Amino acid sequence: MDVSQYLEIFIDETKEHLQTLSDQIMILEQEPENMDVINEIFRAAHSLKGMAGTMGFKRMQRLTHDMENVFQEVRSGNMTVQPELVDVLFRGLDALEAYLAEILETANEGTEDNEDIINTLNSIAQKASGKEAPKEEAKPAAASSGEEGPKYDTISITDFEKSTFEKAKNDNQNIFGITVYLQETCILKAARAFLVFKALEELGEVIKAVPSVQDIEDEKFELDFSLVYFTKEDLETVKNAIESVSEIKKAIVGPFEVKDSAATASSETPAKEEEKAAEPENKQPAASAAVAKQPAAQKKEAAAKKAPAKAAKPTVGRTVRVDIEKLDVLMNLVSELIIAKNGLVSVSAGDDSQADSGFNEQIEYLESVTTNLHESVMKVRMVPIESVVNRFPRMIRDLCKKLDKRMELHMSGEETELDRTVIDEIGDPLQHLLRNSADHGLESNEERLALGKDEIGHIYLDAYQDGNNVTIEVRDDGAGIDVEKVKNKAIDKGTITVEQAEAMSNKEIIDLLFRPSFSTAEKITDVSGRGVGLDVVKTKIEGLGGSIECKTELGEGSSFIIRLPLTLAIIQALMVELGSEKYAIPLGSILTIEDVPFSDIKHVQTKEVINLRGSVIPLVRLDKILDVEPGEFKPESLTVVIVKKGDRQTGLVVDNLIGQQEIVIKPIGEYIHCSKLISGATILGNGDIALILEANTLV
Amino acid sequence: MDDIKDIQNVEVASEGKQYIVVRLGSEQYGIDIQYIDNIVRMSKITRIPGSQKFFKGIINLRGEIIPVMSLRLKFNLEPDEYMNSTRIIIIKLESQSAVGIIVDEVKEVVTLDENSIEKTSAASSNDIDIQYLSGVGKHDDGLITLLNIASVIIEKENDKA
Repeated sequence: MDVSQYLEIFIDETKEHLQTLSDQIMILEQEPENMDVINEIFRAAHSLKGMAGTMGFKRMQRLTHDMENVFQEVRSGNMTVQPELVDVLFRGLDALEAYLAEILETANEGTEDNEDIINTLNSIAQKASGKEAPKEEAKPAAASSGEEGPKYDTISITDFEKSTFEKAKNDNQNIFGITVYLQETCILKAARAFLVFKALEELGEVIKAVPSVQDIEDEKFELDFSLVYFTKEDLETVKNAIESVSEIKKAIVGPFEVKDSAATASSETPAKEEEKAAEPENKQPAASAAVAKQPAAQKKEAAAKKAPAKAAKPTVGRTVRVDIEKLDVLMNLVSELIIAKNGLVSVSAGDDSQADSGFNEQIEYLESVTTNLHESVMKVRMVPIESVVNRFPRMIRDLCKKLDKRMELHMSGEETELDRTVIDEIGDPLQHLLRNSADHGLESNEERLALGKDEIGHIYLDAYQDGNNVTIEVRDDGAGIDVEKVKNKAIDKGTITVEQAEAMSNKEIIDLLFRPSFSTAEKITDVSGRGVGLDVVKTKIEGLGGSIECKTELGEGSSFIIRLPLTLAIIQALMVELGSEKYAIPLGSILTIEDVPFSDIKHVQTKEVINLRGSVIPLVRLDKILDVEPGEFKPESLTVVIVKKGDRQTGLVVDNLIGQQEIVIKPIGEYIHCSKLISGATILGNGDIALILEANTLV
Repeated sequence: MDDIKDIQNVEVASEGKQYIVVRLGSEQYGIDIQYIDNIVRMSKITRIPGSQKFFKGIINLRGEIIPVMSLRLKFNLEPDEYMNSTRIIIIKLESQSAVGIIVDEVKEVVTLDENSIEKTSAASSNDIDIQYLSGVGKHDDGLITLLNIASVIIEKENDKA
């Protein structure tokens, strides 16, 4: 058995516990007296310690152990929660996260001891208790209750095993019965049991286990297991060896007596055979061949694992935790699908007169099932945005200290769901925007007071669903963006000329902020201001098929509005025809469809435009851009699909409209280099392929 | 689809590597069988505007979008003429997504041992960039140019057509 199979669980659960710790410590800072919170933290730290210990991450275990100690003191009322305690706890959390990151990378916790954090923790704990920080053994095992007796008495022994007993006795070995009780809170029971076995095998030989070794490995046991054990060591040594494994509640060790009843039950077995069977044992008096080999093999395995640590890098799958109800719905739909299929089979087997109407009925049924199925599968992929944003309160708290500003983060709509792929990517951009708001957006507390604003700066993070999009807004009530300052900076940097600047609207100037290497911060802090920020944010969000826009009011604050498609995989699209080829334009970007007579086309600077209800819209001939061979059909007017991006519009000229359709986006793959204009492909009902046009790139 | 079954029926020899022999014009090429996922008949190829010249487009293979390249164009031969014998060989390299290559004909599967393979240097055909070849195999009387399929498929920075 090998603990590496638990690594994935360990990583998942550690993440969860760390998040709990982070959340609870945040609350604790506000309500230092809240006993529930303290208990919750204590529990999380304790579980973490246990898990880290099981996995053999000693440094991590030590750190959590000391954190736990401190809380032990808080819990018992020996000390109160001080701001410096919260600080050191957060530092401890960061260190734990670093360990976890290291484990993720190399399956090893690394070599950073974080002595300073541990020392600080210990000194806090010492101050509180007025004595040496409690050692590992400080927590006495829970008083044994009546039922925790030596269960090993009930182990029955076969004749065959009995013979080995004789051998052992002749060899001056002690025969012990051992019953080990695990703590109720123990999470990786099998792993604990494994450690017990390992410890025991170093000293002697386990002859029999109840439940069987296989069952123990498979975690098919309650909180206790019993063993029959041969060793040359004495009882105390064995007991200590077992109890050195953590999360063991109790180990009962005693001399084991072979019971007659067990022996008589199988006494009919011919003695000769017994001897024969025992023969191999003879040659290896101390240990049976199998058991002797086992520890050796394990050692080798352990050694091999240490050497190629990189090779053992845990594969952290991109997983989604799914509500069991969602899966039930899926299961139901799949069974309906099977029923629908059977319906079709029976219709086609039936006689022709009824076939037609029955057939249509079944097709309709099938259609509704597949639509529902699609919806449910999409739902399974959706993850609440909470999993990304829940780390932000902590971040803002740290920024408060770092920037010496008082500010608060208000979040809403954490339950808004987005596709998993989007969730994975959206964290960094949001973090960046929040840092921007904290560093540049909000004025210092003094300035705010002077301006008659609330002393505490407010940052808002709001998420909500808006049709087929999800909107995430990062807003602050700070100084806002000084358009003049941006303009001057842009002219200074040579991004735009003075004449251009004059002609630009405020909005266009603010858009300059999204250009690469453009920062208006006068000094670079380690929080932000290197000018690599907003353009990266923009690229990332556009990569997800979304858009970002900035609104600002000088003196009132600014807000960054991110719009993201609800899902990436399936969209509504308008199918159009160009020559003999079919293309799909996502419906989300389409404003209207217009029929434009040739006479309405005007030319501005040799570019074709149309004047549509007062606004001038540039025309794009899609067939030219896509090198489509022109069809013979010459229409009298143009079919123009007006697409929008933000406030701008463009007319795409197409040959023919086919209609609206729900399409499944498939990637084209990395081999073909194609223009940004094509974002993917989709398979049509008849098996043909249509390319998806990313209309945004044309606007 | 059916073709692959025939190929799989060929007895696996204990020694040497198996190659699928394909024809491009008058030349024979061998592709290491371990990279071949499937062989399909010519199907409708959807053009991708603005792609590299030797990529003919994409096909729909049972719901998967697979890019298809023309070996002829890649090797600067005459453009393909699609015939009844034209096949698309679906190649799947380790950890890469599948890609199809168009060949004039799939002929047979041969097993070549080390002795009958000559590492390339001089014997390479002039038209084909040496980096695409792994050797020349001798089988019966004919010569088979063995393709280094990985370098054919994985684009080098310099040959963006």
